[in-house]
Amino acid sequence: MILRRWKNRRRAGPSPDTLMPPEGVALTLPIAGVGVRLAAQITDILLTTIATVCLIVLLAVLDLTDPNTLFAIAVLLFFFIRVPYYVLAELVWNGQTLGKRMMKIKVVSHDGGPLTAHALVLRNLMKEAEVFLPATLLLMLDSASPLASLAALAWIIMGLLVPFFDRYRRRLGDMMAGTHVIHLPVPILLKDLASEAPVLGANRKQFVFLSHQLDHYGAFELQTLEALLRGQSLPASDNSARQRNETIQVIVEKIRKKIGYADPIPPADRLRFLQAFYNAQRKHLEQRQLFGDRREDKFYAQADQET
Amino acid sequence: MALVDGQDLMRSARFRKEREADWRHLEQLVLLAESRGLQRMDFAQARDLASLYRQATTSLAIAREISLDKALLGYLEALTARAYLCVYAPQQRLGGLVSRFLTHGAPRAMRRSWPFLLLGFLCLALGVLTGYLLYLENSDWYYVLMPTELAGGRGPDATTESLREVIYGHDTGSHGLGAFASYLFSHNTRIAIFVFGLGVFACAPAILLTFYNGLSLGAFYALHVDRGLGLDLGGWLSIHGVTELSAICVACAGGLKLGTAVLFPGDRTRVGALRHAGRDAVKLAIVAAIMLVAAAVLEAFGRQLVQDRSLRFIIGWGAGALWLAWFTLGGRGRR
Repeated sequence: MILRRWKNRRRAGPSPDTLMPPEGVALTLPIAGVGVRLAAQITDILLTTIATVCLIVLLAVLDLTDPNTLFAIAVLLFFFIRVPYYVLAELVWNGQTLGKRMMKIKVVSHDGGPLTAHALVLRNLMKEAEVFLPATLLLMLDSASPLASLAALAWIIMGLLVPFFDRYRRRLGDMMAGTHVIHLPVPILLKDLASEAPVLGANRKQFVFLSHQLDHYGAFELQTLEALLRGQSLPASDNSARQRNETIQVIVEKIRKKIGYADPIPPADRLRFLQAFYNAQRKHLEQRQLFGDRREDKFYAQADQET
Repeated sequence: MALVDGQDLMRSARFRKEREADWRHLEQLVLLAESRGLQRMDFAQARDLASLYRQATTSLAIAREISLDKALLGYLEALTARAYLCVYAPQQRLGGLVSRFLTHGAPRAMRRSWPFLLLGFLCLALGVLTGYLLYLENSDWYYVLMPTELAGGRGPDATTESLREVIYGHDTGSHGLGAFASYLFSHNTRIAIFVFGLGVFACAPAILLTFYNGLSLGAFYALHVDRGLGLDLGGWLSIHGVTELSAICVACAGGLKLGTAVLFPGDRTRVGALRHAGRDAVKLAIVAAIMLVAAAVLEAFGRQLVQDRSLRFIIGWGAGALWLAWFTLGGRGRR
């Protein structure tokens, strides 16, 4: 029952990915999952470790200290490189460390405002208490003290489980600092399929679709077709090209049967047919939308009856 | 079919054609703002960024209504989100961060959390007292309370001479950076980090750990008092111990602050209470870290150089008075 209540509460709120700016148009900032953050974290740990090892090798080569204390110095250096690295990197790159830059994720303030220095220091200090300290503790565990090992294990598990129970996948440090981590969206503007003028040969006829033929599909099918057509421009090997051709053939036949398009399509014209159908269908759906008739997918007629 | 000025294009294609140049411009400005920072952009660019961002949000709202082009929708979603972060979440200025912390932030946070500091010191003091009394009652308690690796052979069966030798000993083998490093990562630093870290999860472990730390200290002290070396050990401990033990108490106070926020959030939500408590707790943690580094410096360099008992007292408690002055006097006056 508790689980159900928890699930209900989860569904009730708005999606954690959306953010309402003052302009009043909801924006989408997708929350970064635990996996991608772990990957970024591992990258960062590798980088700081490499920096530490370089410094230690330098110290050893220059013979500045005796070997006995080298281990203590290594721990010290790792600590004094690691802690400022996270804080300074996130301060300078506005919420990104090198690992986060590689994974294209970013820390943002929970309320959508600027990241304060306080928040960044806090979330990275808590990382010491949450991640690094239990990790070193785990390395130093011995079987002689089972109680201490159990306590350490419980601590680690508790710390690691917190993000899984949070809608925003926040660590404890994130909660305290009022931040969470998002995928940085990458804007890539692809060509508009509809604006590509179809090349017409002299003896090629134009495909014409009637209004009743366009009444079968909705937005979902249109966008699936869009993805398929965009995929055609990618280079392909012989084998996958053949597969692709077969898929196209199947789809063309399916559409032809569904909409009742009588003329057979010669193999050379299949893509042109799909392109023409995409244009006509999109024009038609946009026209319908203009009249307040939104068609999400091909089941739109049934959905209308139910409501 | 000729495309004359986009007359024959469908609505969404026309919509895109009219605005595409502006979107491209916004894209460039966003990249510029992200790489160079909003503060270093010139006036015209910053103005364009803001106004183009607003246009893009309108475009997004319209596109969601009329366009079925998935690529276009995805592009606009990403572009406006990126631009939003540039316009509303710009990078903060970093100048004066350290000096502001040292002159205002830290002392004020310390004064605000005095009940927790008191509690931290109380835990330690009670621990010391208990350990001391337990040892006087039966010296076997020493073996229970003192971790063996810390005692270093100094136990109830050690001779008075050997104890004195440790206090005024000249060689411990290491000097300089190595000694500094090993002292900094000694027992006490680990205790301080644990005390702070455990405080977050619940108060009790932090209190217990501080108390336990006091217990072993009390037993250790009682051993020396028993041999008539109380004052000498006092000097030996003072030189860095005043700073180091205070640092543990400060860390304990920070942990307790977070722990109480989790346990007794009051009218706030737990996350809200944590956020509120975190503002001071993080400052306490940084103060504790600074004090631990200072203590390691005192221990690594001061302890071997200064052999005189009263001078050790003066340095140790002088450092303590300096810390106290910083916390009580710093950051007063106009806000």
